[in-house]
Amino acid sequence: MQHNNFKVTPLPRICLISNGEADADQGKVLLAQLNLLPETLPCMVQIREKRLEARELFNLAERAGAIKLPAGSLLLCNDRLDIALTAGLDGVHLPENACPADKLRTFAPNLIFGCSIHSLEALHIAERSGADYLLFGPVFDTPSKRRYGASQGLHKLGEICMATSLPVYALGGIIPDNAALCMEEGAYGAAGLSVFQDTARLVETLEQFYSIICQ
Amino acid sequence: MIPSSPFLCVITDEAFCPITLAEEALKGGAAMIQLRHKTASGSQLYSWAVEIRKRCRQYNALCIINDRVDIALACDADGVHLGQDDLPAAAARKLLGNKLIIGISASCAEEALQAEKDGADYIGFGHIYPTISKQKEHAPLGPDNLQKSVESISLPVIAIGGINAENAPLLISRGASAVAVISAVSRAKEPSKAAYELLCAIKTGRQ
Repeated sequence: MQHNNFKVTPLPRICLISNGEADADQGKVLLAQLNLLPETLPCMVQIREKRLEARELFNLAERAGAIKLPAGSLLLCNDRLDIALTAGLDGVHLPENACPADKLRTFAPNLIFGCSIHSLEALHIAERSGADYLLFGPVFDTPSKRRYGASQGLHKLGEICMATSLPVYALGGIIPDNAALCMEEGAYGAAGLSVFQDTARLVETLEQFYSIICQ
Repeated sequence: MIPSSPFLCVITDEAFCPITLAEEALKGGAAMIQLRHKTASGSQLYSWAVEIRKRCRQYNALCIINDRVDIALACDADGVHLGQDDLPAAAARKLLGNKLIIGISASCAEEALQAEKDGADYIGFGHIYPTISKQKEHAPLGPDNLQKSVESISLPVIAIGGINAENAPLLISRGASAVAVISAVSRAKEPSKAAYELLCAIKTGRQ
């Protein structure tokens, strides 16, 4: 892990989010993904395992944190700053209904704080709370997010990106084929769960993303 | 500081507004309020915690947050309470230093000893009697096991599980530093009165 280097080196362009099924697979997919990350392609990896008890989440975060990641990569925990801190991760990603970032920041001045946003209003709150980056979605329709409502579309992504100077990751149905559309709207990078699920194709998928996003 | 004479801890009940419940418990004389809500979002927990902490300060009572060390820090609570499925006590202690009180749930003398070694400030020991408030994996521990744990460690032990004004004095006389209740206060017709009656019972248990 690279500590405190986000101020000198840019955030990775790709954000890989865990599948939320570590209660069933003991984190096997996540750990496999981390072990497969190519040396030249830094990733932001978010451990998002809502069904795990805190103890299990801590154990998984410690195991994940022990894996050597490509230079510039970052490992974050969803929602729980206490677990990010105790497991020695690089940051925390806060959902819109999380404890406000500015109330947590003083306890972790060197960690990265990301915020999920689904509206302009949430964007302004996240900016004021001192977020380092934003995650906006769902941009496209995706089975994993369908229960959160209809997709917001590229136009809304563009509005969000226009309204902030913070890096915005596009989330929700992003695949290499539509990543360029998100970048045209001003996105900083792409985030996904299911697109990275097939570990046999993970390296290839990451390479495709990078060739589109970083060209 | 954990009170040195026997006291009452009231834990919030997910079925009721935690702020109202905390207020009632404090009015009745509870010296420790534990905010416990396993399904609430971080923002919801934070706003409850801020309100409960404010009220605890007014009453010079301790505000303890269950499970979430992050929320405890954010709301400037007095401490956290961690179960065996929560963040390990040693990790929490390393993060918090001596800033916050750490309470650990234990259901046998071994767990209590381990918690003491890991830096806990108090032990929540139970469940002592059958309880409807939580799903339980083991049989009620009873006053004998409570006493055994009290004697095996030097930390304050808070007895929990199925405790009411009738059985509280016995547990205090067996060495418990406090009793913790959920439903005995939350489900009472008059929660503040129920808390007060528990507190009176606790005082009669002092040797």
